[in-house]
Amino acid sequence: MKKELSVDTATIKKKDTFFAKLWEQRAWVMMSFPFIVYVIIFRYLPIGGWVLAFQNYWPAKSLFDQTWVGLENFRMLFDDPVFFQVLRNTIAISAIKLTLGMFFAILLALILNEVRNLRFKKITQTISYLPYFISWVVAANLVRDLLATDGIINEILMALNIVDKPIMFLGVPKLFWWVIGFSHVWKQIGWDAIVYLAAMTSINPNLYEAAMIDGASRLQRIRHITLPALRPTIVILLILNIGQLMNAGFEQVYLLQNGRVIEYARIFEIFELDFGLKMMRYSFATAAGIFRSVVSIILVFSANYIAKRLDQERLF
Amino acid sequence: MKKFKGLLLLLVLVMAFGALAVAQEYKEFTLFSSDPLPDYPGSTILGDIIDEATGIKLKREFLVGDLETRLGLMIASGDYPDMMYAAHYTQRLIDAGAYIPLEDLIEEHAPNIKKYYAKYFDMITAPDGHIYFLPQQAIPFGPGERRYPELGFYINKRVLKDAGWPKIKTFDEMFELIENYMKKNPTYKGQPTIGWLTTFDSTYSYSTTNVPAHLAGYPNEGGFVAPKEGGKFKVRPYHTGQIEKYYYQKLNEMYHKGVVDPEMFVINYDQYIERLSSGRVLATFAQHWVLQQAQDILNRDDPDSILVPFPIVFDETVEEYMRDTPYIQQTQGMGITIACKDPVSVIKYWDYLVANQMLIQWGIEGEHYEVDEDGMYYRTEEQLALFRDPNWVRDVYGRQYYLNLYPSLTGVAEDGNSYVPDNQPSMIYQAATAAEKEVMDAYGVKSFTEFYNPPKPWEEVPYYPIWTITIPTGSPAHIEGTRHSDMLREYVPRLVMSDPSEFEMIWNEYVNRTRPLLQLRMEYIQEQLEWRVENWGPKNL
Repeated sequence: MKKELSVDTATIKKKDTFFAKLWEQRAWVMMSFPFIVYVIIFRYLPIGGWVLAFQNYWPAKSLFDQTWVGLENFRMLFDDPVFFQVLRNTIAISAIKLTLGMFFAILLALILNEVRNLRFKKITQTISYLPYFISWVVAANLVRDLLATDGIINEILMALNIVDKPIMFLGVPKLFWWVIGFSHVWKQIGWDAIVYLAAMTSINPNLYEAAMIDGASRLQRIRHITLPALRPTIVILLILNIGQLMNAGFEQVYLLQNGRVIEYARIFEIFELDFGLKMMRYSFATAAGIFRSVVSIILVFSANYIAKRLDQERLF
Repeated sequence: MKKFKGLLLLLVLVMAFGALAVAQEYKEFTLFSSDPLPDYPGSTILGDIIDEATGIKLKREFLVGDLETRLGLMIASGDYPDMMYAAHYTQRLIDAGAYIPLEDLIEEHAPNIKKYYAKYFDMITAPDGHIYFLPQQAIPFGPGERRYPELGFYINKRVLKDAGWPKIKTFDEMFELIENYMKKNPTYKGQPTIGWLTTFDSTYSYSTTNVPAHLAGYPNEGGFVAPKEGGKFKVRPYHTGQIEKYYYQKLNEMYHKGVVDPEMFVINYDQYIERLSSGRVLATFAQHWVLQQAQDILNRDDPDSILVPFPIVFDETVEEYMRDTPYIQQTQGMGITIACKDPVSVIKYWDYLVANQMLIQWGIEGEHYEVDEDGMYYRTEEQLALFRDPNWVRDVYGRQYYLNLYPSLTGVAEDGNSYVPDNQPSMIYQAATAAEKEVMDAYGVKSFTEFYNPPKPWEEVPYYPIWTITIPTGSPAHIEGTRHSDMLREYVPRLVMSDPSEFEMIWNEYVNRTRPLLQLRMEYIQEQLEWRVENWGPKNL
């Protein structure tokens, strides 16, 4: 009897503390509420749609009248003659974008941070992140013009005598990944650098002062103060971005590709569109989507695990 | 006070009715069309008349981007407009249950559609006995003539003039002509001359890949042709034979001579039109509507460089039938969707449009056309000038917004006039631009179609054309087709751009990759074609 009672009080007490805590933190709860609702509606509920992957879904019928086909859609996906090419291109393009993107964004942030002329810094920063606000539909045309045989890049190369006849950048299969990589850098660099610049403002200026008194050069200050302070930000962003490796960026690749470079331009998003949505094979597209999600989850966990083992900052 | 109250009541009543009347004046319907037009200007000459007469206003959505993607999303969400036109994917909407049957509505509410479309009802009735859509451009009383053929190998007027107006017959002759001209004129207006350029942009890539079929003398059948073998039509591909090899090898040779635009496979459709419009392209192949826009611009800005169509073939032994046998697009058209709450008004609206084709295509008498004593319509020079400006026709007159997608008529009308003003017998030559007349005079013809043989009569090809046979969506044959076009996108540029010493190797690789990607579609099309011949053949004699 007594024992039971004590359990009861324990739970009541626990409940009390839970609700008490909830009440205490009500402001935070209120603030996060919309985001939790958002995540549930737009990130969790759609997972229910995954059942489509195991059916032969046809939109005119209700979800329960569909034919169930088991793993047939996955079999078709893995048996597809271009599956491995698509996988290769997706990962290669994202990896190039990730590496170049982070490297140049950090570089730009470090350079801007050292600029002492505030006005120059502001103007440079604004110019560098302007392309971020242009949609890829427009940006792709700009890139096409820049890289055309009579475009400005070829003209500069010719004027400097680096090449003797114009290079058709968009027509060389092996160059396609790099065209994607560098046009991504051009468009994203300013925006991505903002995060690093923000992280840098939180570095205690005393550290720099002390280093200067000790006679550290500018490069040494960057090497020993700025970069270590940035490390947590870099690692976190790296882990998050690794989760995006299976998304090579649909619009950019779709708008810049052409028949000549298609071997290097078939990526998952385009493959799902051409062989899935466009043909109303929603089930097949869903199966491909599931495959991508699973790979992404594995990648994020692995990256996180490695970060943990290396004693770095990590996500969870 | 009482009086005042009464007055007030009256006032309120009047206002209420007024508001009601204004609100009731127009019914609004939504429309989706796969024709990529700019947004409706809000008021056009035609639009104001039609809105007024029908009491209906349309809220239009025109295609932006890729049609298949847009439809896929629309079907998946079930979010349809009241009426929609989806070109080659009409069957997909029927399969998805998006369209309502129209036959009873036509019977009860649309006497004009019934009259002008009667002979097509068999063709457009689905196997389940319903009519789900109405194609555009019915030909109720015979096709009539036209100034331009449906497709052709177009050669720049400057080249023809320079060579003394030759009649070009074969592909080899054409390239010889271009090469000679290019040697003499390496640049035009400061930019390099382009010898040969066709578009390879995804939606239009057939402009490049269908050429071998036309070199063999076929009209636009689509991805396959159907020669008669032993008295029966046999569906055949044209991707791995001798003419195809000749075609790609010729392009390869010309590519390395600098005649073929080096950026042919890299540029998109807009850039293609831009290059044609610049006047520096000497020759291209296209269906007329694909390059019409460029031709209009050339006629206006650079009349010396307009493009002249020829039926060019592989060699002298080929007899060409490149012109279309008159047909209606049996498998595509506009339908009313399940989302429409008032289908009767929509069908009446269409009926009005069909009944008023002369208004839509010719305009207002005395303002946009005149009638001579024999009752034949014509346009004066001033009126012609008005209609030669494509921007005026679209944005001020509004023709595209009331013609292209809806049930409409073409060919000759009951009274002998042509529904399409440009094809009015008296206007085919008379209404041509000075540049067009110069070419026609030089060749002693009255229309460019005179360069061509007349098309095969319907009796000889009662299935025509193959491309309107729709492969079932998502079927193995459909997947095969997508794989095939995907493969073509990869191999055609390689065939044309590769080193000549590697051509044989890549050609063999291409043939081996192509062969297994044709069978399923050939079988399906053969079956459908035989069904058409059996069901449509005798009745339409």
